[in-house]
Amino acid sequence: MTTTTYDKAPESDLRRRGIRPGDVVFKGLAVVASLAAAALLALIAYKVLRLAWPAIQDFGLSFVWTNAWDPVKGQFGALIFVYGTVVTSLIALALATPISIAIALFLTEIAPKKVAAPIATMVELLAAIPSVVLGLWGILVFGPWVRDHLEPWLKDTLGFIPVFSGEPSQAGILPAALVLTIMVVPITSAICRELFLRVPRDLTDGALALGSTRWESIRGVMLSYAAPGIVAAVLLGLGRAFGEAIAVSQTIGNHNAIPTSWFEPGDSLGSKVASEYVGATSLEQASSILYLAAILMVISLVTNVVAQVVVVRFERARRAV
Amino acid sequence: MKRITLGGLVLLAVVALAVLGGRTQSASAKPQAGSLVGTGSTFVFPLVSKWIPAVDNALGIKLTYSATGSGAGIAQVTARTVDFGASDAPLSPDQATACKSCVVIPWGLAGMSVPYNVPGLNGRLRLNGTVLANIFLGTITNWNASAIKALNPKLKLPDLPIKPVYRSDGSGSTYAFTNYLSAVSPQWKSKVGTNTSVNFPTGTGARGSSGVAGVVKSTEGALTYVDAAYSIQNKFQFALIQNRAGGFATPGVRGVTAALSQLPAKVTNLSQLKIVDPPKSAGKRAYPISTFTYVIVPTNSGDKAADLRKLIYWTVTSGQKFGPPLYFVPLPKAVNGFVYREIKKIQSGA
Repeated sequence: MTTTTYDKAPESDLRRRGIRPGDVVFKGLAVVASLAAAALLALIAYKVLRLAWPAIQDFGLSFVWTNAWDPVKGQFGALIFVYGTVVTSLIALALATPISIAIALFLTEIAPKKVAAPIATMVELLAAIPSVVLGLWGILVFGPWVRDHLEPWLKDTLGFIPVFSGEPSQAGILPAALVLTIMVVPITSAICRELFLRVPRDLTDGALALGSTRWESIRGVMLSYAAPGIVAAVLLGLGRAFGEAIAVSQTIGNHNAIPTSWFEPGDSLGSKVASEYVGATSLEQASSILYLAAILMVISLVTNVVAQVVVVRFERARRAV
Repeated sequence: MKRITLGGLVLLAVVALAVLGGRTQSASAKPQAGSLVGTGSTFVFPLVSKWIPAVDNALGIKLTYSATGSGAGIAQVTARTVDFGASDAPLSPDQATACKSCVVIPWGLAGMSVPYNVPGLNGRLRLNGTVLANIFLGTITNWNASAIKALNPKLKLPDLPIKPVYRSDGSGSTYAFTNYLSAVSPQWKSKVGTNTSVNFPTGTGARGSSGVAGVVKSTEGALTYVDAAYSIQNKFQFALIQNRAGGFATPGVRGVTAALSQLPAKVTNLSQLKIVDPPKSAGKRAYPISTFTYVIVPTNSGDKAADLRKLIYWTVTSGQKFGPPLYFVPLPKAVNGFVYREIKKIQSGA
């Protein structure tokens, strides 16, 4: 008898606690916020596709590999811009990845704490520079420097490769890729630093105790422990590079052609959407520009999915070991 | 049960808030009569900024204008999210259909300059339409080309590659400039054409007047086009352009006014407003690259119609005197009849 009454009391108490208005409001807000975010993504994708629909119907999938952009004659294709986006982003990635890992290793392993903290903050602050400001710096300072010093040097030493031949120019594929590198490094290096800090000290100490050198413990233990995270960080940086519009538009030279040399101007998907949508004069042009935006969305989405798959695979492989 | 009803209540509250918020927003986006909202051309913006306080004084109309670009002006007036749009290019037939009976009224006029960056030049550069077209087509590539030398016998032209710079964003400046090149070069007309954004065969693009100016300043050998006011205010060196009478003209108020003399005495439709490359009879001072800029208004403007008529009538009459200090040229008398007739078409349409 006493036990049953005892049982009932906390149950009703729980129920009373379960319907506390604060909890309900909180839960409601959380549900609404997350559903709204998901719905917003779907709505944006729907709207972009709907506005791009006339161009998708007109040009079909061959739009993606058509090398043409002429608003006067109504010829549109995405190849020029896909090339610009992919090439600038991959150059940025190839340069930013080793630099970021080196910065992260320096900050976690080599630099004394007093030095590491301010440098880490400064590298992260680099990410706080608005891209439009970085782009302006690209036009006024960095681009002319690349044209007068870096590109002539590249031409002299590597000029036999077609992409490093041609007339040095302050706006082009290479200057845009270098500005992207500057934008990607803070993101990738900050994540890599977090990853390296989380490698259990026992593991590296163990490797050192077994007689490995510092470099061997970094390569064998830290890098392999952090590998899936590094891949994810790199892909995150790649996503950033793909999506950047303003800074690229200011430094890539906005020319409707696939340049043979990386010194020459080209254009990217994000840059084209940012610079031409507002002034589009025909429905065909506007919907073709939105088709470019849709392609950019698909590329970014695929990069994100690949990043997640890679992380999951690595985790599984590590657990199997 | 109770939990569900509470959750439902919260959701309802959120939805109600959103709806109420939306309602107050849409109420503020459509202001009361006595205020007008417009958007579009960046080219006409300096002139409109002078008009805003003057219109408030003279007519009591509160005018709001945002310089978003000619294309955006056309798009927004087509979608009826603004009371008027402004564009440096007249509506194309497709756009006119999409806009569903809009009137297009010229309300500003100015010249386009051709600034260059050639260091150590001992005088003012002189160019003509053919040479300009060939430079932008990529067939003249060096400053010491014989075609340029022929126009500038006294200049010591350097052995320096020419770097054409153009606007990467859709712009009325590009429309005016390509309109001129199409008029003087059949090759340009067939290969590239006229539009607010075209497929330039060679060169580097940059965003906005300030963007191209930045590239030209930091690039030796660069050549571009930008409205005359921008060039003069920023003290750019710009080229003298040869007209059909053989004179080398500057894009000042006098040069553009002289170019207007080819207009018919009474303009009756927009297609007559062609002022690029004026005939020989326009004289040696006529500057060959100038452009009208237009306001676009739906003929069916509801309760805004009366205010819009008043505003546009004021801008094309009293408003024109604000132009010359900004290197805008007052509208010629020849367009008056046409402009007044078009203004009358703006009705409440009830």
